[in-house]
Amino acid sequence: MARGVPAAVFFGLAALGPLVVRDAFLLDGLILILLWGATASAWNVAGGYAGQVSLGHAAFFGLGAYSAALLGTRWSLSPWIGLLVGVLLSTVAGLIIGYLSNRLRGPYFVLATIAFSQVLLIVASRWRGFTAGSEGIPVPFRPGFWTLGIADKRGWVYLVLALGVLLYLVQQYLERSRRGYQLAAVREDEDAALSLGVAARRLKVVAIAASAALTAVCGALWAQYVGFVDPFYVFSVDLSVRFALAAIIGGLGTALGPFLGSVLITTLETYLRAQFGGVGAGLIGIYLIIYGCALVLVVRFVPQGLVGWLGDRLRRHGLAGTAP
Amino acid sequence: MSAIPQLVVSTILLGGIYALIAVGLTLIFGVMRVVNFAHGEFVMLGMYLAFWAFALLALDPYLVLVVSLPVFFLAGFASYGLVMRPVIRESHNVQIFTTVGLSIALQNVALVLWTGDFRFVRPAYYSVVVRLGTTAFNVSQIVAFAVAVLFTAALFAFMRWSYAGKVMRATAQDRQAAALMGIDTDRVYGLTWAIGIVCVGAAGVLLAPLYPVYPTAGLQFVLIAYVVVVLGGLGDMAGALLGSLIVAAVEVIGSYVIGTAWKEVLYFLLFIAVLLVRPAGFFGQRGAEQLGA
Repeated sequence: MARGVPAAVFFGLAALGPLVVRDAFLLDGLILILLWGATASAWNVAGGYAGQVSLGHAAFFGLGAYSAALLGTRWSLSPWIGLLVGVLLSTVAGLIIGYLSNRLRGPYFVLATIAFSQVLLIVASRWRGFTAGSEGIPVPFRPGFWTLGIADKRGWVYLVLALGVLLYLVQQYLERSRRGYQLAAVREDEDAALSLGVAARRLKVVAIAASAALTAVCGALWAQYVGFVDPFYVFSVDLSVRFALAAIIGGLGTALGPFLGSVLITTLETYLRAQFGGVGAGLIGIYLIIYGCALVLVVRFVPQGLVGWLGDRLRRHGLAGTAP
Repeated sequence: MSAIPQLVVSTILLGGIYALIAVGLTLIFGVMRVVNFAHGEFVMLGMYLAFWAFALLALDPYLVLVVSLPVFFLAGFASYGLVMRPVIRESHNVQIFTTVGLSIALQNVALVLWTGDFRFVRPAYYSVVVRLGTTAFNVSQIVAFAVAVLFTAALFAFMRWSYAGKVMRATAQDRQAAALMGIDTDRVYGLTWAIGIVCVGAAGVLLAPLYPVYPTAGLQFVLIAYVVVVLGGLGDMAGALLGSLIVAAVEVIGSYVIGTAWKEVLYFLLFIAVLLVRPAGFFGQRGAEQLGA
């Protein structure tokens, strides 16, 4: 199997989806799979390829969501402009965090990122005059592409599909390019990479900033699609964990992994929500119990993730050359 | 200026409780080199234990405290054997995600079993206020503080003088050398984890009469505990005490000066500042953050 074939199959199937399926519920599931897959891929740029595991990425997602929602509701600007502003803010924040926390490794870096997202959560939920505080912001629906008021779910599928393909290509670049190899060297052994003349520090900062910017894009589109921004959701540690979880289940530092992880997680969540949604809100917690256990089991038994595991399987049976 | 004595008293009382949560976290990190991201969930479980004992059996939280010690010791050993032991020699990332997964699972087990409602433990002495000079404080706060100090002191004595404590410190200093000296490091880790969980579970029981009980109640305390332990130097117990007092002071004075709504921003900013300026904290080893250990 040639490199890139599995991805072509995956995105091809997603593109065919709206032609075959008309059911709004299923299309909604497809959109969320692609959107969460894209977000997990954005996380993967820093967490998987650069080895900078963050549990504060919700901060960048929230910056994107809030920029799009606030510029739209306060100044009636297009969400595309909001998206750009969100990307700018996140890039700057990512550069600052990346630069300042460069010395921190392992648990220290995780703690620093959590603290950063908590600061934004507090600001967003308490600064009532500007952000509407803990009530959140309903995003008005204004029809048209420029205002991202797309009523037809099929339109959304192609929009988030384009985003997904973009994220896949970014990750492919990190897998094949000189810069990607340098990043892998930094991830595996920073001191060795430094001694070989790799600009480890700059690479890590750029990777974190790029990851932040891409996460903000996902956040802005998510806000427009869902139509409501709640500070306790978009800045939560839970959401940050979710990005990481999809990437880990699918395969850290693989281009298709985050999307496969998202297929599993999003499908399970959508299914259980539909099953238990009416019975009792508490039962929705079941899928989070499964997430938690899955996380513990995956890092222990399949640390290479689904993509790596499938690749091993195929190779053992002599079916494939390389992992996707 | 008349508020100063009250601010001092509030700081010390709050600091005592933070210390009890933080010493468990810092002990586990010091010996096992693991940041326990599920630490807050054991606070939550302690709070629920106190709540259910109070609601169903009308047991006073301070009586439950005694019962909670063996319960959390066993829970600690069980969670170590099931979850932590297999990953104790793995990379930081594996350990981080293992404890994060444990945290999510426990939080949501509580949500499914006991719903997300806020629950309260209100013993008869709940509203008793003690006045001393110009200061006033709640009885539950004093008891929580006293027990927290007692616990922390006992833990210090245990680590300093008991054989098991010496073995734990030896393992903390050099796990390979400890193993070469015939120390069963696996048992040491199990014991460390269990003791850390006992501390934090007891803290949860003590906090139940003071704060609402709900599935994510642990998060607010554990975030504070991270600030405390990094401030004092991850793994350093005396540092955790000092860190607790500083964070409590920031919180109390911040609430007084700029209002309760923004006080959390202060200690997170303090946290970020410490991580940037001196990530090793007051007493931690310089450069530890670069090794990630």
